[in-house]
Amino acid sequence: MSELRRDPITGRWNIIDTDSPWGPEAFKVEPRIPSSVRCPFCYGNERMTPPEIYAVRSSGNAANGPDWQLRVVPNKFPALQIEGDLARRGIGVFDLCNGVGAHEVIIETPDHQRQMADLTLPEIGAVIKAFQARSLDLRGDKRLKYALIFKNYGLSAGASLEHSHSQLIALPIVPKRVQEELKGAERYFEFRDRCPFCDMLHQELQEDERVVCENRSFVAFCPFVSSFPFEIWILPKEHRHDFAQVTADEVADFARLLKETLGRMRGVLSDPDYNFIIHTAPIELREREEYHWHLELIPKLTKVAGFEWGTGFYINPTPPEMAAKLLREVALPVQRA
Amino acid sequence: MPELRKDPLIGRWVIIATERAKRPVDFIASHDDPLPQSECPFCEGKEHDTPKEIFALRQNGSSTNGDGWSVRVIPSINPVLRIEGELNRRAKGMFDVMDGIGAHEILIESPQHVINAADFSVEQFRAVLQTSVTRITDLEKDPRFRYALWFKNHGEIAGAGRIQHARSQLIATPVTPKRVKEELIGARRYFEDKERCVMCDLLIQEREAKVRVVYESEHMVALCPFASRFPFELWIFPKRHSCDYLTMQATELDDLAGVFKQVLGRLRAVLNDPPYNYLLHTAPFRRQRGKVGYWKTITEDFHWHIELIPRLTRVAGFEWGSGFYINPTPPEEAAKYLREAHV
Repeated sequence: MSELRRDPITGRWNIIDTDSPWGPEAFKVEPRIPSSVRCPFCYGNERMTPPEIYAVRSSGNAANGPDWQLRVVPNKFPALQIEGDLARRGIGVFDLCNGVGAHEVIIETPDHQRQMADLTLPEIGAVIKAFQARSLDLRGDKRLKYALIFKNYGLSAGASLEHSHSQLIALPIVPKRVQEELKGAERYFEFRDRCPFCDMLHQELQEDERVVCENRSFVAFCPFVSSFPFEIWILPKEHRHDFAQVTADEVADFARLLKETLGRMRGVLSDPDYNFIIHTAPIELREREEYHWHLELIPKLTKVAGFEWGTGFYINPTPPEMAAKLLREVALPVQRA
Repeated sequence: MPELRKDPLIGRWVIIATERAKRPVDFIASHDDPLPQSECPFCEGKEHDTPKEIFALRQNGSSTNGDGWSVRVIPSINPVLRIEGELNRRAKGMFDVMDGIGAHEILIESPQHVINAADFSVEQFRAVLQTSVTRITDLEKDPRFRYALWFKNHGEIAGAGRIQHARSQLIATPVTPKRVKEELIGARRYFEDKERCVMCDLLIQEREAKVRVVYESEHMVALCPFASRFPFELWIFPKRHSCDYLTMQATELDDLAGVFKQVLGRLRAVLNDPPYNYLLHTAPFRRQRGKVGYWKTITEDFHWHIELIPRLTRVAGFEWGSGFYINPTPPEEAAKYLREAHV
């Protein structure tokens, strides 16, 4: 018998196939992106990108020259533009405003050959610090309400370039999916005076059925209500509503757990395409007792079809308990510092 | 300057990239290796290769599970929900759980090995529509179910799998799905404010403006919605206000068959046989309507419709994280292409 499971936060129901669950072998591996002749994210091709906004360089190196470890540049084909006013307006029954916002690309390494899971811990730490620095900087812009950090890895996950990168889009509104999560968390808190994510963390650590790995400050688990097979969330163990206020110690722990999680996923699923998304509180002054930042990692294994679009109801053929067990038990190559 | 547009129903924002608008030629539909016709289990004469039929439109004298049908309905071979059992609602710590009870049926839309429904005659579309009405009417009688979604996945990318034979699916669920609820709540909120149906208002505005209308028949309007999430997204509305697909009159059903033929033909002509999904959004099952609050004004505030989504772009991290869709083709452009297509 399959189960319907409801996300306590957004109220979304999912179908979990516990009867004839699909293991990793059931999913077809997508072809890789062909290597382009001249990659704009490689050393020496800095002129192919717009001028950099942020970079990690050895001291004394000029901006936009070679010899860097990490670069942040504006997206060459931005979904939103940084200049201009929102100009909110209506046309009859419809509302619209201008597409104002920021769209930045974080080039995680100059090395074209290595994907994020292959980066060293200091390198992943530098990526996380870049996420933080850019988030904090964009807060100065009063037009912006939300900064979404995400990564598309592989063609089917929406990446158009092979070179390891992630993205940041800052928006003039709090997007719907985030609002739903915030509202759901508020509703839960109103009744219980506890953060739903802290409760979830507590339940997961206690049941220890869906935990993939953990360290001092973070835990990775397959959520009870996974929308997708092998979906993994990483949460800080302490209550933290705002990713951008992550401490130096937490950055190091987060880097370690993210690397381990990506490594385990690759070990079980033979290098799948994936997305990850950092869910954090909107840009605002208040502290949120009811909200808890986290990273959602989704390997691209199934196709979203008519039923999912029509209902917002996802069909997940791999129970998270099975996914977590496989991810926990996979042998990992020895980690280098 | 790209625009952000807000869907008046559920409050979802969409980015319309007016400047780097993509044209049909920018989307190359890929076609994967299909099951050969000789192995297709849905063709006439192969009835023994499928589970026993639930319903079929048959010629007089033909026998159940034999040949001589025009549309045939069977249970899904890989059902996502099971028909037998009780819901068994329960809690697991902070989570809610219930058993996966529901119905999952396949509507085989033609006895011949037709792959693209755009090749159907209007008569065949009529048979498909009649079948969908019959099956939803029947599923509504089961007190465990609250909603039935009729939908189609065409093409491998849209989730059709390797069997190419044209078919659609019906899934009855024991809960009203979130996406449907959002629409219902959005429509009710508008009604509370204005005492008018939001979609009737929208139809008046769109039929006057004409820029997003693709095709208009006596009883139906096909248009690319103002806040389209996807390039070439297209919705079909009945002109007569009704919350429930099952209340469609015979003349309206005939008319809708013709609209399907037009719309799918135009889509194929403009986008080179793209993969697509379409789905019916209608009111939840009627027995729900006595319930407090939620369903009180549903007959007045909700308007059934069909949403059609060509699968041309990939949904990536940004869309998953934000519920915000980046649509590279403004609906006005899409509607123009579809309007001017030759079928």
